[in-house]
This record gives sequence, structure tokens and C-alpha cells, in this order.
Amino acid sequence: MFETSSESPAPVRVVSEAIKDYIDRLGPIWIEGEISELNERSGGMAFMRLRDTSADMSISVMCYKTVLASVQPLPANARVVIYAKPSWFTKNGSLTLSAKEIRQVGVGELLARLEALKEKLALEGLFSADRKIALPRLPRRVGLICGRNTDAEKDVVENARRRWPSVQFEIREVAVQGAAAVVEVSAALSELEANPEVDVIIITRGGGSFEDLLPFSDESLVRLAASCTTPIVSAIGHEKDSPLLDLVADYRASTPTDAAKRVVPDIAQEISDIEKIRDRMFRRLVSTIDYELNQIAQLRNRPVLKDPSVMVTSRRDEIKGWRDRSIRGFTSLLEIEKKELKGVKAHLRSLSPQSTMDRGYAVVQLEDGSIVRDASKAKAGTHLRIRVAKGETRATVNE
Amino acid sequence: MATKDSKPSYEAARDELAEIVESLEDGSATLEESLKLWERGEELAKICQEWLDGAKKKLDAAKKPAE
Repeated sequence: MFETSSESPAPVRVVSEAIKDYIDRLGPIWIEGEISELNERSGGMAFMRLRDTSADMSISVMCYKTVLASVQPLPANARVVIYAKPSWFTKNGSLTLSAKEIRQVGVGELLARLEALKEKLALEGLFSADRKIALPRLPRRVGLICGRNTDAEKDVVENARRRWPSVQFEIREVAVQGAAAVVEVSAALSELEANPEVDVIIITRGGGSFEDLLPFSDESLVRLAASCTTPIVSAIGHEKDSPLLDLVADYRASTPTDAAKRVVPDIAQEISDIEKIRDRMFRRLVSTIDYELNQIAQLRNRPVLKDPSVMVTSRRDEIKGWRDRSIRGFTSLLEIEKKELKGVKAHLRSLSPQSTMDRGYAVVQLEDGSIVRDASKAKAGTHLRIRVAKGETRATVNE
Repeated sequence: MATKDSKPSYEAARDELAEIVESLEDGSATLEESLKLWERGEELAKICQEWLDGAKKKLDAAKKPAE
């Protein structure tokens, strides 16, 4: 190499020649990528860019048209393996690979590689059911990664709006095929994953050729999807297509419409469910209240509450009873006393001198009422009272 | 049990009412007590009825716009 400084700089030609010298010493290599921007100019040369299939990197390639002819016609985004030698063009300081041979990577080869990758990821457990995250019942925002102005986008948005009119989308329109797809889809996925408002992410694209769908089996994209904590719904291609993204997604939708159905509930269904629950709640409450109303009515109908005067009348009856018994008791006592009095009177009568006097006897008494039993006690001139059966008379003793 | 100061819950009022009816029915209380119990019972029955009628009215009102 040569020494340079600000005082003795090297001219462009010297530097460019030096680089060319260095690069010319590099040997030819085998390199794989995707062809884009194919440009067959008049003349014998063809120009194109060879893109990496995962990263946003590319190198320009040139070759003789005859080299290209061996693989033509090439499909869009064709995968090729090129045997090329790097060349440095001093005229504009650009590096180009000069291809000596171009081979298309066959579908069989790609399928075999896909199968190997699938097995590897399966062994790592990336597809296992316990890694799947449940989709939210009602997401605040739905992330949508899709192609620009595609039917897939319309299908998702329209069907989701029909089911849930206020659904909010975060839409990222990106390349969904070709070399840029992996990079753009990955960037959109990382961005939506980082957005805390996005509760579910749909990745969708319509059907396409096997090559078109290859980006959705790219190892770096599949690993990124597996690492996301936001649930992912994949709706790629048709039912028969099964890119590896489908296997790591938390839900594999058969179509974009199916994806829309999965991410938002059907508002009509929800309203009807709520109505049913509300109805049950009402019926339950009404029956509880009716039962209680009946309980209270029964309590109010019990005689003690319905006719509270019983409280007083029962006691009044009780008092009357006692009074009656008291009167009856007293009356019978009186009766007994009356009878007893009669007996006493009879007895009294039997003891009186009346009956004796009735037979003609008389009772003679002195003035002081004492009875004369001894005639000597009645001297001449003594006044006597003589009681006979009826009345009494007076007399005076003569001698 | 018989607290007059605060409005009791529906269940408390209903249970107390049932208790009062029972003690009125077994007739063990004095007349003076019975009168007090009866007054309390009437009051409780009214509270329960009002509570239930109010709840039913609320339900009916809530149900109308939905139908």
C-alpha cells in the first residue's frame, strides 16, 4: 500500500486502480439470492440486482446474455445460485459481480430446505400448542400487516367493521412478496408488537406462487413472530398453502375474512347475549320479589295482625268469664247461707216456749223480767206479767 | 333486636316481623307489651311492603325501554 497525508493525497485513479488490483485477486464464489431489476440492454450484456432473501442487502450482477439464457424464462423473484467473480469498475468506482454461471434454485430444493427448517423449529418447540397465546375478546387496536391496496386488506377491514363497527386498526402496508417482504413485514411486526395499544396482529396476503409465499417461511421472520408477546393471526394464501408463519402464529386463519371473525366479536351476537342475560336477571329478581311479597302478605294475614282487636277482645272475654264465675260463686254462697239461716230459725223455734204456751201453759214473770219458779217468791201485792201463747196480761198477787 | 333508630334491611325487618307475629300468637306477652309489639309489627310490615313495591317499580321501569 502507499502512504498518504493531507499534504500528499493520492489521486482517484491511483486509489481506484489499487482497489481494482485487490479485488481482481479475489477468486470466483457461489452466491445465492433473488434476482430483481433484470435489465437486458442492447448488446451482449445483462444487468440485474441479486438481493438477500432475509436482509435488506443487494449486489449488482452482470453477465453475458448467453449465461442468462440458460435459465430463462425466469419467474419473478426467482431464487438463483450464481457462480461469479467480483469486478471493480474504475470508471465509476462500482463493484459488480460478473456471473459466469446462473442456476435457478428449484422448487424441490426449496421445499426440502423448508422441510428441514420446519423440523428444526419444531424440535425447538416453536410450534408447540402451549406457546400459543389466547386472542383477546375485544382488542383495543388490531394491528394489520398486508400488501398495499390488496383484497386481503379490504376483506379483513370490512368484515371486522361489519362485526364490530368501532374496531380500530393500525394498518401497515408493506411488500408482501419479493426480497423486501421479509424486511418490511419484520419491521412492521416489531413496530406493532412494541405498540402497547395493539392487542392482536393480523399478517395477511392473498394467494400466490410458491416463491411469492416464501418470505412467510423465512427463518428470521418466523423466529421474530414466535418471540412476539402480542397474539398473531396469520392468513397467508389459500388453505393448502402452509408457510411456516402459520405454524408459529397463535391462530391460523383460513382466509382474511376468517381472521377478521377471530379478532373481533360479532356485535349483534353480543347484544343478543347481553339481552338474554339481562332477561334472566330480571326474571330471577322478579321471582325473588314475588316470593317475598307473598311471605309478607302471609304474615300480614295472620289473625294477630289482620284483626289486632283480638288482642283486646280476648282479654275482655277473659274478664267477663272471671266476672261470671265470681257472680255465680257469690250467688251459691248466698243460697247456702239462706238455707243455714232457715235451719237455725227452726232450731231456734224448737227451743222457744211458744209451742208449750200454745198448749195452754203461761210464763209468769216479775216486773224485772225474771221468771217465777217458786210461789213463795211472789208476796201479796207483787205485780206479775203473764205471757200466754198470744200476748201477755198483768196481774197482782192477792195473798 | 327491636331497634327503632335506623331503618333496618329488608331481611332484618322481615325476620323481626315473623318473630313478633309468633310472640303475639303464643300470647305470652302482657297486654301492654302486646300493644307495643303489634305497633312495631305494623311498622315493619309497612317497611317490607314499601321496600318490595319500590323494587318492583324500579324493575318495571328498567324493563320498559328494552321492550
